[in-house]
Amino acid sequence: MSVAAETPLPAPGPGATRRSARAWSRRHPVWSMVVVRVALGLLTIFAVSIVIFLATQALPGNAAYAVLGHTATPQRLQALEAQLHLNRSLTSQYGSWIGGVLQGNFGTSLANGEKVSSLIGPRLENSAVLVIGAGIVGTLFAGILGLIAAARRDKLFDHIASVTALTITALPEFVVAIALVIVFSVNVFHILPAVSAIPPGTSPLSDVNALILPIATLSLVIAPYIFRMVRGAMIEALESDYVEMAELKGISRFRVLLVHALPNSLPPVIQVVGLNLLYLAGGIVVVEYVFNYPGIGAALVDAVSNRDIPTIQFIVLILAAFYVFVNITTDVIALLASPRRRATR
Amino acid sequence: MSLITRRSLLENAAKGGLAVGAGGLIAACGGSSSGTSSAATSGTSTAAAGTPKPGGSLHAGLTGGSSSDTCDPNTIVNNTDYCRAANLYEGLVWTNAEAQMYYRLAEEMTPNKDATVWTIRLRQGVTFHNGKDVTADDLIFSINRVLNPKAPGEAANSLHGIIASGMKKLDSRTITVPFSKPYSTFPESLANNITVYVLPEGFDPKTAIGTGPFKLQSFTPGQQTILTKNENYWNSPLPYLDQVIMTDYADETSQVNALLSSSVDVVNLLSQTTIGTVTGSGKKVVISDGGGWNPFTMRVDQAPFNDVRVRQAFRLAVDREKMLQTVFGGHGTIGNDIFAIWAPEYDHSIPQRQYDPEQAKSLLKAAGHDSLSLTLVTGDIAQGVINMAQVYAQQAAPAGINAKLDQVTVTDFYGPNYLKWVFAQDYWYYSPYFPQVNQATLPGSPFNETHFNNAKYINLYNQALATLDVNMRTEIAHEMQMIDYNEGGYIIPFFPAVIDGYLPNVNGILQSKTGSSFNNWDFEHIWKS
Repeated sequence: MSVAAETPLPAPGPGATRRSARAWSRRHPVWSMVVVRVALGLLTIFAVSIVIFLATQALPGNAAYAVLGHTATPQRLQALEAQLHLNRSLTSQYGSWIGGVLQGNFGTSLANGEKVSSLIGPRLENSAVLVIGAGIVGTLFAGILGLIAAARRDKLFDHIASVTALTITALPEFVVAIALVIVFSVNVFHILPAVSAIPPGTSPLSDVNALILPIATLSLVIAPYIFRMVRGAMIEALESDYVEMAELKGISRFRVLLVHALPNSLPPVIQVVGLNLLYLAGGIVVVEYVFNYPGIGAALVDAVSNRDIPTIQFIVLILAAFYVFVNITTDVIALLASPRRRATR
Repeated sequence: MSLITRRSLLENAAKGGLAVGAGGLIAACGGSSSGTSSAATSGTSTAAAGTPKPGGSLHAGLTGGSSSDTCDPNTIVNNTDYCRAANLYEGLVWTNAEAQMYYRLAEEMTPNKDATVWTIRLRQGVTFHNGKDVTADDLIFSINRVLNPKAPGEAANSLHGIIASGMKKLDSRTITVPFSKPYSTFPESLANNITVYVLPEGFDPKTAIGTGPFKLQSFTPGQQTILTKNENYWNSPLPYLDQVIMTDYADETSQVNALLSSSVDVVNLLSQTTIGTVTGSGKKVVISDGGGWNPFTMRVDQAPFNDVRVRQAFRLAVDREKMLQTVFGGHGTIGNDIFAIWAPEYDHSIPQRQYDPEQAKSLLKAAGHDSLSLTLVTGDIAQGVINMAQVYAQQAAPAGINAKLDQVTVTDFYGPNYLKWVFAQDYWYYSPYFPQVNQATLPGSPFNETHFNNAKYINLYNQALATLDVNMRTEIAHEMQMIDYNEGGYIIPFFPAVIDGYLPNVNGILQSKTGSSFNNWDFEHIWKS
């Protein structure tokens, strides 16, 4: 995943500039990596925007057909296509869109004429709450269990936790979600809402009850991977020479675990947490459907079926930017957390 | 004109003249029509309901919406659009639970003697949500808005032949509307959701000002709509509710979960498989014998369907009872390849077409096909449609028909190939017979998906439009229905039931023949106990 981290800095200019740039990058290995990665990331996002635009063109029909649906007559289609400027050439459609984006204007929805940013903004916040909430809860939950399992390797707790984790891995999200709904809101207990339709204009945090089941679902879905990675990395660290040394010095088991072993097992764990965050960003659509949660996953599905290109572009750009950001961040944290890797640069 | 007014209908209903429901549906759905505020429908359960109690908020979980939803009554497309329009605005005429037309904002619509000029008088004392009186000018504005060539409204086709420039205001609430040819069925053409809603001059869809029982408070397309009571509604004491919150659901699972956990009070358009789940946990369902229909469409101008024997064979190759049983659990009414089942002019005496793969096979042979392979385009366009296609493919196989299913997305279905598929499906809400013909089976019809073009049929239709005598018009309708039955391009296996779910404290939900949920979105009669 970190191909770009190994790529050398592209030559920025001739002569002295190049030398000083190299010197700077030697002195600040982390910063220079960030600069390179951000530049490549922006390029990636730009490429994504072109690919997505072309992909939307390959879909049959256009927004006018989609909006009129069942009621499309030639007269009404023609009127709407003209109104939405769908009869312009591809390059001019893309050009005016990217021109707007560079000025911070993401265009208006073809489905309802609202500004895309104000249409998707609140949904973005909703989804962010889910992703970040599930990221935190799932990581802490799985991390702690992983630590305990590693510390009690091959004991009963370890076996139970490992088998449970494997079982959950095999369950698709909607099964987990529906099982939680059946248990906690519809059939067994009636303590949590079965749906989380956040009313427009309200923050998802205003009704925490409604967030519990969606976040629990997503946390359960990502937890097994993090659990297994923490457990594995901790076991590796616990078998190392320096841990043996620390134990021989008579340091308490607790301190050995948290101060000596844990920091050294962090880099791979951080990578897995990052991967899971990326998975969450793309994978919440199922959970949004089950809980009728107004996030960007459901908005993207809706935008595709409405052929609402500006909205599709906006959501995909945000997702691409999130991928780039998470990749860079996890690489940087992993680098900072591992003195040996930091030194090789 | 023999228009049935709402009052006379309700009186008849109370006398038991118009008992609801073909065959045992009331029994089948256990207490479905609990609570009918207007003396109406079944006449069986008014006692249990008690006196309507005003106040309260109704939370409706509805499927069908999307981000392209609108409050503009000229461009309504899906269920939630219809729901908003039916509660914010009103037309001149409307359809009741018995699928009969009644005057809504019109006090009277009278034709001249050759049905080329209609005089429309508006009800007195009706005001818009902003307090302004409804006047003849508003009506003329509303008609012109539908006809606007730059953004034609969906109802434009129902105004076919209108001479817009000739509309005249007689007094503050009366206008005359001239047509270039006779139009005897003008009122009933306006009696469905796609109609001329009466809007104030200078109407803006953002404020959504109409005369309906509810006013718009907020609207977020594809997510939520909040309606509040119109305190000055002309038909007081309606509406009973203070507020209606419509929340969009993309999926039946979450919709049903919301009902089961009482997060919503009512949900629309359930599949028959969820009836048990809903009733099993103490919630209720209303199963309505809708007049909506989900036809298979055969293009009569394309091979192989340009041979009438092939069309007849395809119609004989469907086991209607079994298909209804499989797809809708038997809830609904068997069809006979003729639409407008609840229309007074529907001919119930035409013999029911039965499943007969042998005869279908010999008809295909006569048409030169030992066996016939073709593609049936299907999609999730309405409840049960894909299942119908799957069942059809199986049932038709013994007749030598090899139907390969091509399942496309809803967007693709209604994309550039819509109305061009050779063999596909569609869905329609209930419409009386002649307005339905106008929409679907004439060469100039906007949705002539079967490309039906029959000279005798067209001739009969034009005769009917020039006939004001209802009995004579019914005779013409029967003649046209024989053509539909023998030569048409539709296979109409049945008219499916409409299944809605609700909490036990919700009253005033009617069984309805309109084919739309909640008696065509009649929230004004609903009240909570």
